[in-house]
Amino acid sequence: MITVTIDGKEIKLEKPVTVLEAARSAGIKIPTLCWHEQLERYGGCRLCLVEIEKMPRLQTACTFMVADGMVVRTETEQTANVRRGILEFLLINHPLDCPVCDKAGECELQNLVGKYGPAKGRYKEKKRKVPESLEDPIIVRNMERCIMCTRCVRMCEGVQGASAIDVISRGGHSHIEPFSGGKYDCEYCGNCISVCPVGAIMSRLHRHSFRPWQMENEIETICPYCGVGCTLIVQVRDDVIKRVVPRIGSVVNNGLLCTRGRFGYEFVGSKERLTTPLVRIAPKTQSGVGSQESTLSQPPFDKGGSQGGVISELFREATWEEAISLVAKKLSEIKEEYGNPAIAGIASPRCTNEDNYIFQKFMRVALGTNNIDSTARTGFAGAQSFIENIFGQGATANIISGLSNSDLVFVIGGDPTTVNPILGLQIRACSRNGGNILTIGNFKGLEYFSPQKLVPVLYTEDILLEGIVTVLKNKKRLSDANSKLEAKIKDISTSIEDVKNICKIEEKDFNEFLNILSESTNPSIVIGKETAQSNGASYKLLLLSAINYLINGRLYLLSDRANEQGLLDMGCAPDILPGYRPVSYVESKRRYESIWESELPGKTGLTIFEMVNAAKNGSLKAMYVMGENPVYNLPDSKTVEAALRNIEFLVVQDIFLTETGKLADVVLPALSWAEKDGTFTNMERRIQRLRKAVNGNGMEDWRIISEIARNMGKKFDYSNAEDIFNEICKASPLHKDLTYEDIEKGGGIYPYKGEPLRDGMEEIQVHNAERLSVNGKLYLRIERPLFHSGTLSRRAPALVKIYPEAVVRISPDTAKALSFKEGEVVRVSTKIGSIELPVVIDKALDNFSVMLTNNFEGKSAYRLMGYDIEPVTRASVLDGNTVAIEKAGL
Amino acid sequence: MLSKAAIKELNEIRQKYPDASAALLPALYIAQREFGYLGADAYEAVSDALGVPRAIARGVGTFYAMYKHKPMGRHIVQLCTNVSCMILGAEKLSDFLKNKYGLETGGTTPDKRFSLVIMECIGACGTAPAMLVDDDFYENLTEKYIEEILEKYK
Amino acid sequence: MEKVLLKNIENPNSADINEYKKIGGYRSLLKAFDYKPLDITDIVKKAGLRGRGGAGFPVAMKWSFAYADTKFPKYLLCNADEGEPGTFKDRPILEKNPHLLIEGMVIAGYAIGAQYGYIYLRGEYPGAYHILNKAIAQAYENNFLGDDILGKGIKFHLAVHRGAGAYICGEETALIESLEGDKGQPRMRPPFPVNVGVFAKPTVINNVETLSNIPLIIEIGDEEYSKIGSSDCPGPKLYCVSGHVEKPGVYELPMGTILRDIIYKHCGGIKAGKNLKAVLPGGITTPVLPADKIDCPMDFVSMPKHGSMLGSGAVIVMDETVCLVKVCHRALKFLEHESCGKCTPCREGTGWLRSILERIENGEGVEGDIELLLSVSGNMLGKTFCPLGDGAASVVQNFIKHFRNEFEEHIKDGKCKFKSLRV
Repeated sequence: MITVTIDGKEIKLEKPVTVLEAARSAGIKIPTLCWHEQLERYGGCRLCLVEIEKMPRLQTACTFMVADGMVVRTETEQTANVRRGILEFLLINHPLDCPVCDKAGECELQNLVGKYGPAKGRYKEKKRKVPESLEDPIIVRNMERCIMCTRCVRMCEGVQGASAIDVISRGGHSHIEPFSGGKYDCEYCGNCISVCPVGAIMSRLHRHSFRPWQMENEIETICPYCGVGCTLIVQVRDDVIKRVVPRIGSVVNNGLLCTRGRFGYEFVGSKERLTTPLVRIAPKTQSGVGSQESTLSQPPFDKGGSQGGVISELFREATWEEAISLVAKKLSEIKEEYGNPAIAGIASPRCTNEDNYIFQKFMRVALGTNNIDSTARTGFAGAQSFIENIFGQGATANIISGLSNSDLVFVIGGDPTTVNPILGLQIRACSRNGGNILTIGNFKGLEYFSPQKLVPVLYTEDILLEGIVTVLKNKKRLSDANSKLEAKIKDISTSIEDVKNICKIEEKDFNEFLNILSESTNPSIVIGKETAQSNGASYKLLLLSAINYLINGRLYLLSDRANEQGLLDMGCAPDILPGYRPVSYVESKRRYESIWESELPGKTGLTIFEMVNAAKNGSLKAMYVMGENPVYNLPDSKTVEAALRNIEFLVVQDIFLTETGKLADVVLPALSWAEKDGTFTNMERRIQRLRKAVNGNGMEDWRIISEIARNMGKKFDYSNAEDIFNEICKASPLHKDLTYEDIEKGGGIYPYKGEPLRDGMEEIQVHNAERLSVNGKLYLRIERPLFHSGTLSRRAPALVKIYPEAVVRISPDTAKALSFKEGEVVRVSTKIGSIELPVVIDKALDNFSVMLTNNFEGKSAYRLMGYDIEPVTRASVLDGNTVAIEKAGL
Repeated sequence: MLSKAAIKELNEIRQKYPDASAALLPALYIAQREFGYLGADAYEAVSDALGVPRAIARGVGTFYAMYKHKPMGRHIVQLCTNVSCMILGAEKLSDFLKNKYGLETGGTTPDKRFSLVIMECIGACGTAPAMLVDDDFYENLTEKYIEEILEKYK
Repeated sequence: MEKVLLKNIENPNSADINEYKKIGGYRSLLKAFDYKPLDITDIVKKAGLRGRGGAGFPVAMKWSFAYADTKFPKYLLCNADEGEPGTFKDRPILEKNPHLLIEGMVIAGYAIGAQYGYIYLRGEYPGAYHILNKAIAQAYENNFLGDDILGKGIKFHLAVHRGAGAYICGEETALIESLEGDKGQPRMRPPFPVNVGVFAKPTVINNVETLSNIPLIIEIGDEEYSKIGSSDCPGPKLYCVSGHVEKPGVYELPMGTILRDIIYKHCGGIKAGKNLKAVLPGGITTPVLPADKIDCPMDFVSMPKHGSMLGSGAVIVMDETVCLVKVCHRALKFLEHESCGKCTPCREGTGWLRSILERIENGEGVEGDIELLLSVSGNMLGKTFCPLGDGAASVVQNFIKHFRNEFEEHIKDGKCKFKSLRV
């Protein structure tokens, strides 16, 4: 026990901390500028100099460690004079432009000068003049105001790990710059903005549009983008979101945000938002998405945002009453005429648990069908259930921050720093803490974190993984803890020769990788969507499960949608009821029949891909799509479009008129994430609350559906999201007895208070797919960029400014072989279509791969990608899409 | 891109350190020699070679006075003007370089033959005033001696 | 006194290993390997060797801390970044006597248990860079460096790391940062380099001259060694004298030689019969001494008692024609240029002081400027991260302390009267 006296107050400490931390623990505030609780100690600003008895010089409280018996004085005449002197030094080159500075009101320098008194104007020389840099679309840099505390640099390098900015030059000439000197060209997390104490680095999104004290409301909610589930503080003025900031201490993201979370909010206020229900007037063949050519020449949305033209061609506006009774009537008619199986619904990983629960209940109770699925089927759902079948329910529900405490993180199938950026930071932190990063493949976001990489030839990952299992099982003893898996492991064997010859991996690299992997004591394995969507995915998942078992690791499954986990938990799948009760189990069906007071269908429904097929062949007559855009988010999107055009009655409920919406018979405007209450369940299976921040013109998804259900004579009486949550927790054994209050108190973390589920584990089935050979061909793969996620991000102007258009990425060798230059427009063709795109030469790519994102309307990868269905996981397999690139216009 | 020879040289230097990033200063010297000065290309080449983020490489490079960030003449005249040299007439020599050769501090002659860099102490105080031309020391300078010296550099 | 550090430097081939061996070179190394590492530290301790870089810290103390640390590998760094203006004492060792340094480093490495050494050489010494590299290659060939030195099972590797123009890298934690490929900005202490130094390993940093004393101490023993020079900081010392003396240069003299003797006896007095005005006894950041205050023994202990510091032993002699406002300004211009920018008082204060001095020197000073100089430097003194900022403040305060009238005249006359006296 250490006892120190600070300002006469005796403080007892368990372990040595800095004087500043000791003072803060006792509520004594020592002024600081360069210090920040998220950052490494620095000791540069000198503002926290304090008197310490028996020390000849003043010491910086932020760096000096306490010792037993130490006596510290933080506010004396001497320290006040020193601080006045330091502030004078800071002010001699700092412009006195507080009246026009956005930071005024929350500026730490301004506040300190207020406390210690203004400078006396003794500086007669000219102040340093640096023009404000507006070269970047997102971040304004004003180096006149910079006080060189370097918080931004330490954030960027030491926490974010992007190392995109640094101090340039030295001494009085020091200033902060991104590499280019102008545009940032970085990860645009904006965490530098969070930590800047003055108005030197600021967001352009709300430039000169408000003063901090004019903020009317601050709402704590959860990010709408990916499955990490970061806490956001949404700041509102005049019912408009002005700014999104993080909160230090929030459980998942602790004061950090990524680019989507921080800058992606503007879609809420987009002029393209749907405001009234729409009823189709145009024939089904007309949609505005149409052919490639028409889309290119006539963008469906005006640049300014108004979409009046397209809407009035296709639809007429309707009242809610009319739209709801029309939907109820048509659905009832189709049910009557064609039977329950002719109707299907697609749920949304962007909607809340409450929305999704109501959606599946509506499909099952009102429409009598289990034809419910979602885009989680494209990878996440099947991969998770495969893994859970081996290791038990909740096998992937691991705490994200646990990654930074791992001694090893093994990454495959996607760059975590772009798919789930805040999770990616935990992997970078693992490296910084001395942990090893092992990757199968090249991941740019981990490049500076000393990854030990094995990069097998495209489509030979399975052999490499077999090789790893083969070596590991000889190094580790099988414990018989999981006999089902061990039986499989015993059959796995491949030779190092195959790894060398087929994967083209050097034996030395392989052995080094294996040594690190086998010596790890606290490893984590992170699996991305590309593995789940690959040829032979189930076998690779088995191999990864085997590796995980042999090294006793934790599994993380990347999830690019905010509530992908939650929608599955809510039973938005053709084979499961809420809480993973299989529809085929009589017992679980009965349970829900009694709770919902309704008979339920017993037959497993269609997956999303089966729905598309059923639509194509005409057996599916009606479809209800909630907050999803299948025409865009499913591979082979032109076929999906044609199939949906074939549906007699299509209802689309969304916040924008999406490509799918344009095919609809009725379009219903929903509320966005910022306009409603509810809960999301993140990839850790942490249930967190969304809170309404602003008003919107539509209705909550659950409310629209409840209205329709009531119109159909069903009892769907809920007055708010909490009502629904309470029903969920009554109905779902997984969520047993949870309340909003429990969640508030941190009780929303798995395994909640629930009962064990999925008792009888099924046999492990794998599909041994035929290996694709890559000889000399190019293959189309999906780029999953940091800045986009699809429908939302492309209506977020800031994100569009950062990543404005679709590009095709090829390796330097490919570019050379085809003599393409950076930026040159080329035609990218597969057997199902072609698109013209500018080339980007990407050093991280191999010579077999061509990368394209699925984020830009009319130029999305899914327009060019055919798919197969993996027989075990029932996910789409995107491997094997050969592609040709040629000069455009030929 | 660095030349093959430069990459080989860098790889040898790299072996002297336990961390690749420790080879940054020597790598920047090599890049400066290869590119003439440290511009974006040079930093990117070093960044690729060592795995040091490019913004960090540039931050480090701009911290040190001997890395050049704009094109230089074929020969760099590095005149010391610190106290020992100053009190023995270094400032007059800098005036001489300006008047006779048109060499301003930090400037380059139009024929790209010389650039002038004013140095802090170069450790030739006992033989002040002194300068370095490229890597060669010249001491006990006079105007006449400077004329003779610069004749040697074409 | 017989020259040790500068022995044989008149020989044009003195940097060659064979010439060095001819005069007894590397014999101390052989002798040292007969001792246990701790015994060597003990001898160095008894010899009373203090660091020649400027601070005068007892060498054996650093060594024993690093030896006691249990982290491996350990590093020995030679600080060859003599950047303090006026200093050129290490250059003759580096260029003419590199094997003396290498021998000293191998012995020191053995004493502290270091297996790797680097010579951090200032970028401004391109000649020395090539000479050292060649000397190191020769030492490897002769098995004085390597995995198994002289078959004794002792491992020590040595490389030269070239700085790139930053005075601050003479500060040992900044030097470490620079060696690691970072900006040369000082680190906070603790942890101290002896525990967490370069590459986060125990590290000893010694100056060129310090390490070059080691072979002598081993050769003659601590008792003989401690008889050289001052009793409380013994040994030979390199004084480098520049400015207005008849015979400037590097002088190897016993530690504690009287400053007046250095100037008048060894250097032949003031050039061209002019009068002495002031001396910077240990480089430009050590307190300036007026002509009547030079009867002081030049060692680490005596100089502070006489109002200055030994610093690097760089004696800059200024005659009556020199404008001290201009010298003070030049010193501040240098320190502004070299401020690393990490801490506020130094980053902002050096430039402010320089601009006030510039005004005064240009005849644009106003009443109150001297008080302003004192106040601004006062706001820096004791508040900066490292000694550079303190040095800047102290330069200004000491020039004003001894030559206030000259500052006042500049302000009163609105001009510098020494302009006409310019050489």
